[in-house]
Amino acid sequence: MFADPERIAIVSAGVVTPIGQDLDTFWSALLTGADGTSAVERFPVADLRVGRGGEIKKLTRAVDWRRVPDCRATRLLVSAADDLCVQAGERPLDVESERLAVVVGTALGGVEEGERALSGGSARRLRAALYDSPARRLARWLGARGPAVTVSTACASGATALALGADMLRRGEVDAVVAGGYDILCRFVMRGFDGLRSLTRERVRPFDRRRSGLLLGEAAGLLLLRREREASARRLGTLLGYGSASDAAHIAAPDPNGRGIERAMRRALAAARVGPDAIDFISAHGTATPLNDPIEAAALRRVLGPRGATVPVNSIKGALGHTMGASAAIEAIVCLLAGRNGQVPATLGLEERDPACDLDCVQGSPRALRPRVSLSTSLGFGGCNAALVIESA
Amino acid sequence: MRAPAIRAVGLLSGWGRGAAAVPADAARAAAGRAVLPLERPAVTHERFRRSRRECLLGVAAVGALLEDAGAGTEAIGGERTALLFATTAAYAASNREFIEARAGGVYFPYTAAAAVPAEVAIEFGLTGPYEILIGGPTAAMRAIARAAALLESGACDRALVLAVEIFEECADLFERARGRLARPLVEAAACLWLEPGEGTLGFDHRRGGRRETGGARQRLGEMLACEPVAALALARDNEGAGLLRLQGAWCGESARLAWSQSPYWMRGAARPGRRQIA
Repeated sequence: MFADPERIAIVSAGVVTPIGQDLDTFWSALLTGADGTSAVERFPVADLRVGRGGEIKKLTRAVDWRRVPDCRATRLLVSAADDLCVQAGERPLDVESERLAVVVGTALGGVEEGERALSGGSARRLRAALYDSPARRLARWLGARGPAVTVSTACASGATALALGADMLRRGEVDAVVAGGYDILCRFVMRGFDGLRSLTRERVRPFDRRRSGLLLGEAAGLLLLRREREASARRLGTLLGYGSASDAAHIAAPDPNGRGIERAMRRALAAARVGPDAIDFISAHGTATPLNDPIEAAALRRVLGPRGATVPVNSIKGALGHTMGASAAIEAIVCLLAGRNGQVPATLGLEERDPACDLDCVQGSPRALRPRVSLSTSLGFGGCNAALVIESA
Repeated sequence: MRAPAIRAVGLLSGWGRGAAAVPADAARAAAGRAVLPLERPAVTHERFRRSRRECLLGVAAVGALLEDAGAGTEAIGGERTALLFATTAAYAASNREFIEARAGGVYFPYTAAAAVPAEVAIEFGLTGPYEILIGGPTAAMRAIARAAALLESGACDRALVLAVEIFEECADLFERARGRLARPLVEAAACLWLEPGEGTLGFDHRRGGRRETGGARQRLGEMLACEPVAALALARDNEGAGLLRLQGAWCGESARLAWSQSPYWMRGAARPGRRQIA
């Protein structure tokens, strides 16, 4: 919850995803139902039950990569930041370098560098394995000399990062914040989720009766935040509120009663000073695991009350896979783009709605709708829950 | 922002339990040892059968906090308590074990930075606001500042700022990166209990600035994210002798926290055997 009602503008955004490496391509691909999941090629997966994921086959942005360390996490962040600068029409960003902060969320940080360091890599790789290393490298690339902060609330990390960024602006600590999330697809995380039997051999089907699990994806999503009174009129929207809550239930599984995500949503609405009636659209976490989707759906129904059956909901994880630390930031961007473009993308993979997920899921084709106020939900390992309330410009 | 008052501190470190165990000079007391480890807390509960050492240390630090406060679990449980966790690399040992395939899939959730606060939240029923920051002392100091902001906004009635650092399982790796770290490496788990206080809290975090030598770190050794919490524990045992400011630095960034006025320890928070600062 925010202490100060100062409104925080979302001025610009940038993404790198398996279905597009700039905002416009990403949005077009979402609307046309592009599937970014494919056989993983970048590292060995033959020994795993599932070898598919939302892998970015080649980073295509025209960045001078000689200036960027050979670390995939850093390169995803730089790709998204480059897109953000292009979208903002500012390169470098128009802010005093000491007053520009970076706040990013990640579930894995530079863990792949740890794998490389343990196979005989240098001490530099070892330092890059720390979860906060890619944020510092992004700050260097941006020329930011304000704080470079890393948060790691698992798959809710992107939302936490946006909240911290907003808090820094409200308290006058800095004048602009590049905030968001990232995570890469690497052997470490594929082995982990494969071992937990969370990955599906089938298609990712959020809220579908036949859903059988998730696929992982890699991405980065960044948003440029400024105090609204100082931001230009050209903006994507406003970050109205944020709420977080711990499940205190299980180390990996969500609370079966969804009390944590419910509390996070209620806190976000309270911080935004809006009621559930104000919500026009929900970008759900919607992982397509048998456990998550009905828990999340029931929590949404409790929070939204009678409107729970009629507010449009989607999940983009069928298109990207679960991009972990990036997911909340990218889903926030989806809320903003839906408001800007007047369309809500369909939930790729959803064909037979599960009665246990009794929501108005956008299915089959995009829905013509221009949401003004959206709610985005995130749940992560360790009982991390977060929700954002976002207003489109 | 409004300053938080500190109700209690729990400190476990490679030196022992509490601030009283901390030596006058860490380097001298270490006598050449690179790492001062903390033992895995002995817990028998079935729920902890897979828990990692860092998680159990987090739980033990909150237990020490409650003991310091003279309070029971019911005093902190519920949704009005925020939990903020800070670490530099408490996840490193579990990550390494998983990378080297010494741990199976069921241990994968313990590789997440969220594993430590998750175990703490489960154990003590903490269901309030929940945030996890990664970095050295600067991350813990930001966690304290963020806790102050949450308290000020009314998002919670109390906030626990927990920090855990372990080194032993990755001692060889820390040795390779020794240029950035002081010696000795001292494992620690430390927790602050914050409530709304008086006066203001100043917080400044920026790029640049070096780690100051001497002061609390000369006594503590290298505790990374645990350093600010441990320094506050030392200050209390030193009768708060003017220590209303904390300084920390990590990877080219520095931070400062300053309480504008005493008392920054809550009235009534002094423990038996210590003089109250108020």
